[in-house]
Amino acid sequence: MSTVQTDDRTTVVPMLDCSGITMSFGGIPVLKGITFSLEPGTVTALAGENGAGKSTLMKIASGQYRPDSGQVQVRGQHLPSGNTQAAYALGVAIVPQELASIPEMMVYENLFIGRELKNRFGVLDRAAMIEAAKGYLKEFGLDTDPKTRMKALPVGVRQIIEIIKATHRGARVLLLDEPTSAIAAREVARLVGIVRSLRDQGVAILFTTHKMEEIRAMADRVVVLRDGKLVSDTPLADITDDGIVTAMIGRELDQLFPERPDAGTDTVLEVDNLVIAAGAEPVSFTVKRGEILGLAGLVGAGRTELLECIYGIRKPVSGTVTVSGTTLKPGAPLSSIARNLAIVPEDRKGAGAVLSLSVLDNATLPRIAAFSKFGILSGRKRREAIGTVMKSMRLKSNGLDQHLDHLSGGNQQKVVFGRWLTGEVDALLLDEPTRGVDIGARSEIYRIITELSSAGMAVVMASSDMPEILSLSHRAFVMRELSVVGELDRAQLDSPTVQDSIFRLASGQNAAPVKDTTP
Amino acid sequence: MNTIIEAVPALQRRDLKEIASGFLIRHIMVVVMLLIVAFFAYRSARFATPDNLTNILIAAAPFALIALGQTLVILTGGIDLSVGSVMAASAMAAAWTAKNAGDNPMLPLLAAVVTGLLAGSINGLIVSKFEVPPFITTLGMLTLASGIAYVIGNGAPISGLPASFGSYANTQILGLTLPVVLMIVAILVLAFVMKRTNYGLRVYAIGGNRLAAEIAGVRSRNILFSVYAISGVLAGLSGLMLASRVITGAPNLGQGYELDAIAAVVIGGASLMGGRGTVWGTAIGLLLIQTINNGLDLLLVPAYWQNVIKGVIIVAAVGVDVWAARRGSR
Ligand SMILES: Nc1ncnc2c1ncn2[C@@H]1O[C@H](COP(=O)(O)OP(=O)(O)OP(=O)(O)O)[C@@H](O)[C@H]1O
Ligand SMILES: [Mg+2]
Repeated sequence: MSTVQTDDRTTVVPMLDCSGITMSFGGIPVLKGITFSLEPGTVTALAGENGAGKSTLMKIASGQYRPDSGQVQVRGQHLPSGNTQAAYALGVAIVPQELASIPEMMVYENLFIGRELKNRFGVLDRAAMIEAAKGYLKEFGLDTDPKTRMKALPVGVRQIIEIIKATHRGARVLLLDEPTSAIAAREVARLVGIVRSLRDQGVAILFTTHKMEEIRAMADRVVVLRDGKLVSDTPLADITDDGIVTAMIGRELDQLFPERPDAGTDTVLEVDNLVIAAGAEPVSFTVKRGEILGLAGLVGAGRTELLECIYGIRKPVSGTVTVSGTTLKPGAPLSSIARNLAIVPEDRKGAGAVLSLSVLDNATLPRIAAFSKFGILSGRKRREAIGTVMKSMRLKSNGLDQHLDHLSGGNQQKVVFGRWLTGEVDALLLDEPTRGVDIGARSEIYRIITELSSAGMAVVMASSDMPEILSLSHRAFVMRELSVVGELDRAQLDSPTVQDSIFRLASGQNAAPVKDTTP
Repeated sequence: MNTIIEAVPALQRRDLKEIASGFLIRHIMVVVMLLIVAFFAYRSARFATPDNLTNILIAAAPFALIALGQTLVILTGGIDLSVGSVMAASAMAAAWTAKNAGDNPMLPLLAAVVTGLLAGSINGLIVSKFEVPPFITTLGMLTLASGIAYVIGNGAPISGLPASFGSYANTQILGLTLPVVLMIVAILVLAFVMKRTNYGLRVYAIGGNRLAAEIAGVRSRNILFSVYAISGVLAGLSGLMLASRVITGAPNLGQGYELDAIAAVVIGGASLMGGRGTVWGTAIGLLLIQTINNGLDLLLVPAYWQNVIKGVIIVAAVGVDVWAARRGSR
């Protein structure tokens, strides 16, 4: 299946050329002899399961890691390994998977860091930078104030800013490590536009994604990694979607979305007149046993804020949340956990995982009382319980004691999800549950979500992934500006024009209720 | 190769050489320590005698307590600059009690512990509840507690104390003095607490990522409060033992000790950003510093040069550790 292009290598100097790259962590090989190159003016998708080695390869190509053996050349010049400065000077820019923005600095400062604009007197020209930043943000349809502090922004916006940062530096080789994991369809479309125009300017682009549509929309060519080996390198036109998936997971995937069982009748989660922030409309709804409620909307619509208010990470202005008949104390996660409420936050690195702790300890935290007696942690009990759950999540790690910062992004997500499942959960709040998760694991997570819901759990799922909302939910809300602006029942979700109605609601172009658009 | 979680023993997959070099890298501080011990033993005949080792332990004990408290604070991402002067204030409070309350060894002990607890609780409250940065809070307490120490003694040391005041430092248990026993017990207890209890895991969690820990149900304010309170109590005990050694309360006692305590923690591999570090690491760091102090004394190196050498060794040791951590993580 692997057809390696070598024919025109003699005529064009490749922008990026990797040959025989191997790398191992603590004696465990992660990359096993990767050879490929990027031609100018091409877009290459790097596909592979979680932990296949995609990020590691990109880090090597951008000089962050020193490979054990092998060579990287940028435009014919040897890239001194482990030297990010040299990579930058040679024109390599990267948008890392785990965003590396500076939270305390403002948006425009982040955008211009390292190449600040100066005026005639050599003093920082803030006005010019702010103006330019505004323009860049507009290209993505964002009207964020460039003087906002980075840390005040949702992950999706931060991700867009990282993309802008990398694409406006005049890079010749652009590496995008899951650039779309936190952004919605509209922003993805903008990114596609930008990638195309950069390609036409001769930039060589390598990107990773777990979404097939994005590979189809952006790439000319697909390189597939499996377990650190390059298993396929073909022009996009020569390979089918199924072909890519099969190359990635080494077997055929039967069905991405499982059957949706019927919802029950008893109310589990009740949200009553919850006002997320001053000025927002109150939100009221109930979720029944076994019901999956989808939350759709654009980046910044308030889905995350709604879930945070329900769980107690954020204090609502007013309103109450009730789980199985007990009203929760606002702003107190511990009381929510005690009522069997669980959350998988959107911002994995900031709010989900403690990266400096092991898989075992991360998974212990929310259920710590169950794993201890008189405050002393039990050794075997928690190892067994957590081991079982992580196995059912098909976690790829080097044992339960591996630290989370050494896991691939998708596997971190599995830990952040799976850690709740060692105990009982009545209501589950999911915020982009498959962010950065590979297709095999995604079908796994969908299976788990539907199984949990059919076992009686009430689920609220915010997602920017349209198929996810459309296929899994029994009902969906569309949110805009911190308020719910529309509700779609199952029949409407099945309608062929549903994507259109959701988009119009989400972007505020539709004043009329959705009901009218159903056939 | 990655393995799906299972009981696949890691051993099978690594060869022995990897393990050996991995071990050396992970325990680089132990190696550094052994090298330093070897050097002093080679240069000074008196260094490797049981008597001298006892001396090192005795000198280490007061530092050990504050370094252990400091470890907890640093694990949460904070810092406690006040421990040196809290030692002084506690020692003065204990000495004043001994002088005025007669020959009861319990009362000065109580005075020292309460003083330390009070200072630590104030730190903890201000840091956790009012979210004032720990550096500022404890810097304030450093000045305040030092002032209190002088106030208690009216600007002078308190001497002429009853003989029982010397019992804290000089009582022998199994051939070891009380402070040394206390040091060993404290290290063992805290090592267990940090590794095997809910409390320990929570301390690591809020230091690693406070928001994520809170979402997982950790009440971070309570934990933050507690580490400063513990640090205060340990400083109180430490101050008492130091004063007891000379049966005098001196208001300038413990001055600058906080820096050695912080150095010990950092040499032990803790990150000042929080979330990383161990009690064992601190114990090694502490012994390293005390060994250097002792060895340089034996070699009759002049005091000012001792500081220069110590400074170089501290930075070099941490440099080696950082280098090893980089190698080890890949
Ligand atoms: N610093 C590290 N120390 C130890 N192991 C590591 C380290 N970084 C990555 N790994 C391991 O290397 C493997 C490859 O990781 P990598 O991040 O490259 O995967 P990926 O293909 O980008 O996955 P994902 O799709 O989840 O982002 C993983 O199994 C991971 O556990
Ligand atoms: Mg990755």
